[in-house]
Order: sequence, then structure tokens, then C-alpha cells
Amino acid sequence: MDAKSRILSRIRHALKGMPKALLPEHPHPALAQDPAELFLKRLAENGAEGHLVDKEGARKLLADLAQGLPGAAYGKGVPDAFRLLPELPPEEAPLGVSRALFAVAETGTVALSSEDGRRVQLLPPVHLVLVEEEKVYPSLLEAFLDLKSFPSAIGLHSGPSKSADIGQVMVKGVHGPGRLVVAVLQGSW
Amino acid sequence: MQVKAKLYPKEAARLLREHPGVREAVTGATLHFEANRKRAYQEIDAEIWRERARRVKDHLLTHLDHYLELAEKRLQEKGVRVYWAEGPEEAHRILREIVARHGVKRAVKAKSMLTEELGVNPLLESLGVEVYETDLGEYLIQLLGEPPSHIVGPAIHLALSDIQRLFHGRFGTPLDASPEALAAVARKVLREAFLTADLGISGANFLVAETGTLALMENEGNIRLSTSLPRVHVAFVGIEKLLPRFADLALFLPLTARAATGQRLSTYVSLIQGPAKEGEEGPKEVHVVLVDHGRTTLLHDPEAWEVLRCLRCGACLNACPVYRQTGGHPYGYVYSGPIGAVLDPGLLGLEDTYPLPYASTLCGACYEACPVKIPIPKLLLTWRKRAVERGLAPTWERGAIQAFSKVMQSPSLYRFFSKALRGLPLPQDLLPLLKAWTEGRGPLRPSPKPFHQLWQELKE
Ligand code: SF4
Repeated sequence: MDAKSRILSRIRHALKGMPKALLPEHPHPALAQDPAELFLKRLAENGAEGHLVDKEGARKLLADLAQGLPGAAYGKGVPDAFRLLPELPPEEAPLGVSRALFAVAETGTVALSSEDGRRVQLLPPVHLVLVEEEKVYPSLLEAFLDLKSFPSAIGLHSGPSKSADIGQVMVKGVHGPGRLVVAVLQGSW
Repeated sequence: MQVKAKLYPKEAARLLREHPGVREAVTGATLHFEANRKRAYQEIDAEIWRERARRVKDHLLTHLDHYLELAEKRLQEKGVRVYWAEGPEEAHRILREIVARHGVKRAVKAKSMLTEELGVNPLLESLGVEVYETDLGEYLIQLLGEPPSHIVGPAIHLALSDIQRLFHGRFGTPLDASPEALAAVARKVLREAFLTADLGISGANFLVAETGTLALMENEGNIRLSTSLPRVHVAFVGIEKLLPRFADLALFLPLTARAATGQRLSTYVSLIQGPAKEGEEGPKEVHVVLVDHGRTTLLHDPEAWEVLRCLRCGACLNACPVYRQTGGHPYGYVYSGPIGAVLDPGLLGLEDTYPLPYASTLCGACYEACPVKIPIPKLLLTWRKRAVERGLAPTWERGAIQAFSKVMQSPSLYRFFSKALRGLPLPQDLLPLLKAWTEGRGPLRPSPKPFHQLWQELKE
């Protein structure tokens, strides 16, 4: 017998005669207020920055972030309108710009797909994430129940990279970006 | 990992004597975690969340064969290679083959308790692979050659000055370097490792059977990097880590984060579905090793199996007044604190671990903290009872307890002994009970007046 059959047969033996526990239903999601507003609040509490912007405001935000920088790395889904700076490889870029799959208000989270590019999400010290307002879900449960296609990896990012492993002092930007900025985009794109 | 749990009482006393700073560092860190957890539980209806999580895990465990096969099927459909391993031997064989096939020279590792169980680092080193632990705390203890002392904060026993000294010797940083400066040095070394490693190794917080999704939680970004940059990713997953449905993550991710650190969600969660697709960044191969290593033995044990619900959040460690005194090292195995005291005997056998269930005051704080409501105090008593039944507890203990209960039941005997012992110079080294205590500690000093006398005086 191989390891698989041995392990499974031991499990079946152990479970014989054991009462089977029922799987509880998922709870009903709580009624949401304005998810975008809650999202921005939670982001701030997580140590990230969030802005609710229209097209013009978004470009201004990007211009501010880009000031004095030689270039940026871009996710595949980032519209041309946001590619103000020359493109640099993520290993060298001082700024990464990604487009999120969706966002979650209750936890202050953006969900990033591997299809958009993983390095741009992780290597530059500053990360700007774009997400459409209608893609902000009130809760994780609603977002997960709604998810139909699964890219090879999804990263849920809820703030800047941090660690308190050195003498219990909080340090930002340990491995991932030390600064996370999210632009919630209003209107059509 | 070598098991030294039998030495717990001695090692705990030695640590307190030789490294008094550890108690302060661990107490500070765990009280901080514990306060954050309490605040985070108050924000939600914690009782409902915990009860639901308990029920999902119980369902999973009582249908474990079904969900394991489903997970394997879903993973394979997405191009993940799945292996099954009884324990270290098979796990090593699998890893050795992958290392050889890809000519792996350098590996980056995301913190995983299971890989500690399996001794993955020593194996890789013996194969000539350079291994980098990439969680900052784990990297620190790797440099020191120590095992982790906490499930979530592996280096909480180290004070800032310990790390300043370590980095001074290692990288020539000044002795008063700030935490930011030290982190920047580690970041540089590890960034280089991420960019050049051939292999990324991780554990998993959860494996969703329905979709074949590996879920990993962290705050630094090192797990995302370890599972994204190298061309091969190997994940070691304990067979109890499964969840039935993808949407169960909506409960378990935030609940684990709240229990572990008091966050609403960990800063990063990786949800991994398989190797990178054509033209996409990411590992070209993903391997999942499903590991038993004692779990099926526990499943067989109707009095002890509930411990398999454990999420490894560390909340019971933070809540424990006994763990707080020493941190995890004296427990002598990967899992320490309350969870270690009820998991280690189940995984390794009571013969090698019998002192651990005694490392508790049975105050119940661990149960209150546990996100999946594992009845740790009840399980501690189960293991203690077994230790006595199997004659593992020291023989003097039984006699001492019997004598003690006689004395305690008779006021006149109690009064007599309380006076007699108080008057005598204590024969510290004659009584084994006292010796076990006095070894490594100061002498016992009885208070001049007995308690019942003080109580009387107080009342008057
Ligand atoms: S026993 Fe409970 S509290 Fe302790 S680590 Fe496991 S899940 Fe967390």
C-alpha cells in the first residue's frame, strides 16, 4: 500500500461509528451601509491610504505620487490613462500600479490577481491600486460567494507590509510595499 | 525535530535562571497580543463565530477522507502535483526528488510549523541547498540556530538588544541600530534571496477542498514573495488543514487573524490555485505534500481528537500564564504552550511528552481564547489521567498527593504539619518533591505565620 491508501484507510477506520457533524450554512451577510465609505475608513485604520476619485482626481493622485520618480511598474490591467511615467521593471521601480479584481469594505482589503502581474504588487516600495467603486463588496463572504473564476493566485492586501518581530517595534515595508494607496474610481472607465 | 519534552520542568527552571530577560520579553509580547485579541473579539459576536468555526471543522474532520480526495482531485485538475506523506521520511524523499530534478541551489522559506516538524531545513542543508527563512522573526532565530518559541511570533523571546548584538556581529551594524535599520538590513539580504531562489517552500493555513485553494496568511509579504518569485513552489499541508468550501474562508481568515494578532484580516493573504498560466508570472510548478505525521492517530482517539481543529493561531499561548514565564523553548517540541501540551502527546505519544500536560494551572484562559473552542483544560486532564494510569508520573507524586489529601481533610493533622514544617529547617534535599522544586531555584521560605492564623487576624 502506498502512503495515500494507508492514510485514507486509517481515517476511514477512525471515523467508523463516529457521529458525523453537519456542515453549517453560511450566515446571511449583514445589511451594508455605503461600502465605499466603510472601505476607506478601514483602509485608513489598517495604515493604508484610500481616495474616492473621479477620472480627473485619479490622474491628479497619480501625478502627485509620481512626482520626482523616474518611472513605474504597471499591472496588465492598468488603463493607458494611468501610465504617466515610463515603464520600469518591478525590481527597479519606485512605484507599482495595479488594478484590483475587487475590494472588501469590512476588512479594508483589495484583491489582486496573478493575471495582472505579481511582481508589481510586491516589489516596489509604494503600491497604488485602482479599483472601481462598484467592485467594493461590503463583506468577505459576499465577495467570495460571488467569485466565479479563479486565477492561479489571488493576493488579498489590507495595508502596508509590516512586522513587529524586532523588539516588538512596528516596522513598515519589511518585504512588501511600505506604503499602500488605493484609488476607488467613480463613474465609468 | 528532536523531542526534548521530557525535560520540561528542568529546562523551564534553567531558562528562568540563566536567561531572566526571556520572561520579560515573552510576557510583554504575549500580553500585547492578548489585549489585541480581546479587543478584536469584542468587536464581533465572537461566540457565534467560534461556534460556527468549531462546527465547520468538526464536519470537515468527520468527513476527512472525502474532503482529502476532493482536494487532491481539484488540485490535480489545476495542474498541481499532489503527494501523500506519513511523516518526515516520505516528505524528505519527495523534496529530495524535486531538488534534484530542478537542480535547486537556493530556497526561500515561508514560516511553517509543519516544516519544523518534518525537519525540512536540515534536509535541504544536507543536500547543499542554501535555505533562507524569510519571515523576519524566523530569519532571526535561523541566524541564532534556535527553534521558534511561539507559533506566530517565533522570536518573541528576543529583546531588541539581543538582535542589535546579533546583527552587529553578523553585518557590522552599530550596537544601537534602530529596529528600522535592522529590518532594512534583513530586507536587503532576503530581497536578494527572493530574486535568485529556485524554490519556494511554504506551509498552508487552509486548503479548500471544493476549489483546491491553498490559503496562507501573513503580515510581511514574504509568503507572497516566496510563492510568487521562485519557479517551483512546494507546500506542506497537514491533513487536518482542510476546509470544505471556498466561502468558509470568509469566516476562517478573519477569525484566525483576530485570534492571532487582533487584526480584522492579516495584511496579506495568498489564495493559490495552481501554477502560473502561459505568459504569466509565478511558479511553473506547484507541489502539495499532504502530511499525516500523527494526525490519524489523534483522529482515532475519541478523548483527544478535538485538538485537530487547531488553527495554529497562538491565542492560547498568549493567554497562558505558564507559557508567559518561559516562552516555548522549554516545552522541547515545535508546539508549545497549551496547544503543545495537548497536541504533542497526541502526535508523539505520551511517553516522550508526559510532563507537558502538567504545564498548566487549568485556569481555562486558553479555552476562552481559542477560536475553534478546543476544550484544552479538559484535554489536559485526560492526558494527566493517562500519565498516571500508565505509571509515567513520578511514583513519589502519587504518595505525596495521597498524603496531602489526608492532611487536608483533617484540620488537626493540617494544623500539626503546618506548625511542624514551619518550625523545622526544611530538609530541602531529602524530599524528592522539594528537590524537584529547589533545583535551580532559591530555597523555600515558609511565612512565619500560617494562612489560617493570618486569616483570623484579618477578620478580627
Ligand atoms: S488551540 Fe486554539 S487558541 Fe491554541 S493555537 Fe490552536 S486554534 Fe489557536
